[in-house]
Amino acid sequence: MNFQFLINLLILLFQYSILALSFSLIYQVIRFFHFAHAVVFTSGAYFAFLICVFWGCPLLFAIPLAIICSTILGCLIELLIYKPLRKKRSTALVVMLASLGIYIVLQNIISMVFGDDTKSIRTWQVVEGINVFGARITPVQIIIVVTSVLLLIFVAFYLHSSKTGKAMRAVANDPELANISGINSNKVILTSFAIGSALAGIAGILVSLDVDMTPTMGMNALMMGVVAMIVGGVGSIWGIVLGSLLLALAQNLGVWYISSQWQDAIAFAILLIFLLFKPEGFFGKKLKKATI
Amino acid sequence: MEYLLHILILIGIYTILSVSLNLLVGYTGILSIAHAAFYGVGAYVAALMALNLHTPFLLNLLIAVIASGIFGALVGIPSLRLRDDYFVIATFAFQIITFTILNNLVDFTGGPLGLPGIPQPNIFGFEITTHIEFLILVIILTGVTFWISNKIVKSPFGRLLKAIREDEVFVKAAGRNVSDAKVKVFVINASLASVAGVVYATYITYIDPTSFTIMESIFIISIVIIGGSANLKGSIVGSIVLVALPELLRFIGLPNSIAANIRQILYGALLVIFMLWRPQGFLGEYSFGQKPLVNGKKPE
Repeated sequence: MNFQFLINLLILLFQYSILALSFSLIYQVIRFFHFAHAVVFTSGAYFAFLICVFWGCPLLFAIPLAIICSTILGCLIELLIYKPLRKKRSTALVVMLASLGIYIVLQNIISMVFGDDTKSIRTWQVVEGINVFGARITPVQIIIVVTSVLLLIFVAFYLHSSKTGKAMRAVANDPELANISGINSNKVILTSFAIGSALAGIAGILVSLDVDMTPTMGMNALMMGVVAMIVGGVGSIWGIVLGSLLLALAQNLGVWYISSQWQDAIAFAILLIFLLFKPEGFFGKKLKKATI
Repeated sequence: MEYLLHILILIGIYTILSVSLNLLVGYTGILSIAHAAFYGVGAYVAALMALNLHTPFLLNLLIAVIASGIFGALVGIPSLRLRDDYFVIATFAFQIITFTILNNLVDFTGGPLGLPGIPQPNIFGFEITTHIEFLILVIILTGVTFWISNKIVKSPFGRLLKAIREDEVFVKAAGRNVSDAKVKVFVINASLASVAGVVYATYITYIDPTSFTIMESIFIISIVIIGGSANLKGSIVGSIVLVALPELLRFIGLPNSIAANIRQILYGALLVIFMLWRPQGFLGEYSFGQKPLVNGKKPE
């Protein structure tokens, strides 16, 4: 165990936190698993690649534009598919199936347009990491950690204090009661999709800056976010950070002692243990038996 | 001709898979995305037995069905307690873990390289090698699967499953053992899926983990949903449409790399379209229910 272990842990921890946060913002208000979120995440990386490498725009211009594109994609999915389904009073299973369909369609469009091979937006020379107490960390990894921390603090603050944040929590808590109190739940849901998708896009870009991109990277990343969210407890930012910490720790220890091939299995084994013994997670509200 | 027979065999294999999944998804109203895992368990058990122990085909089939059923019970008993979307995530987890195990236990399963040279079936001295012989075998096994599933659906147990789908709490109140019935149907669904795996392994004579991924699970779900939930004939129609339709793309002259994507886009889009306008599918009767009205009014 050394300092490098801590740095790897930190990078993974914040990657997962942002993913889990982006997913849980949406999940809280809609209460079904929005699988297509995986492709919103991937799209962030590919939009940045398209703008930066194909059209030759500078990276600093490409990144905000790519984030906007992912946000629009997320909102379009909500407006064109989920909202009509909600109007038809579809159950969670129907919406989940539709969202699997959206995921398949969009993921295949990406791999048709860009190809299945690994793409990179890194135009700069790969530099040797900076030496910190005998461990190596690349500048990009520092950017990932710093951006993630800032975003987490910002979103936590925003949800806690702004009017929209309060409305979101109200809808998450009881959509019917929120409607009665004059909150437009459709608008709140759209806002959650916008913020969640923007965060997913940012996460996609950050990950691709570090380890490049493939069309299928989204599902795995999303599932790590979902695991962190369930382990930590839905609807709590501290829960998300704690869940991500547990997941990152288990995976890093797994790499250290077993081998990196078993990372996925470790993550999902943790998920199963929590689902079976503590489905509300660390910080989640105790759920009624019927709703688990 | 060989090509046509090949398509028909594939349709048979997918009919077994979708009919068995329909018992769970359509009749009981529980969505599982671990179906490809059971398909894979069947294929690997039969392949490993045939390769290492040189046991006859029918014994392999029997052991594969039992092994997959036991695996189904191990997965089902703990996770069927969960509510629908949490159950979906739990089956997702089992699917990924199964894939990881198949992929990483290199000494045992061959890992990503798979298992080549699986012997073709030999039933009481009768070798099945040509396409037409395989087609007959597949038709028999599909027929048996369909017959068993149909028997189950028409039986009192089948009506119990439908009742659970419509109102679980009510069935509980009427004194029926809901969790027991759910586990039973899950085990049946797992065992029948393994039949398809055994046929696939001996037909192709080569298996690797990529045939049993989450995408395969979603494809089987699409067949069930698009063909029609809670209608076994619908699953046959779904298999024919979703297996044969993409083959037509070859004749338009699309390059192979794009054709694979187009095929997935096709069934993904069909899934979304059906969910929006006809959630019960072509022939189905069950549309996964609707949320209750709020004070007699539709929500905005």
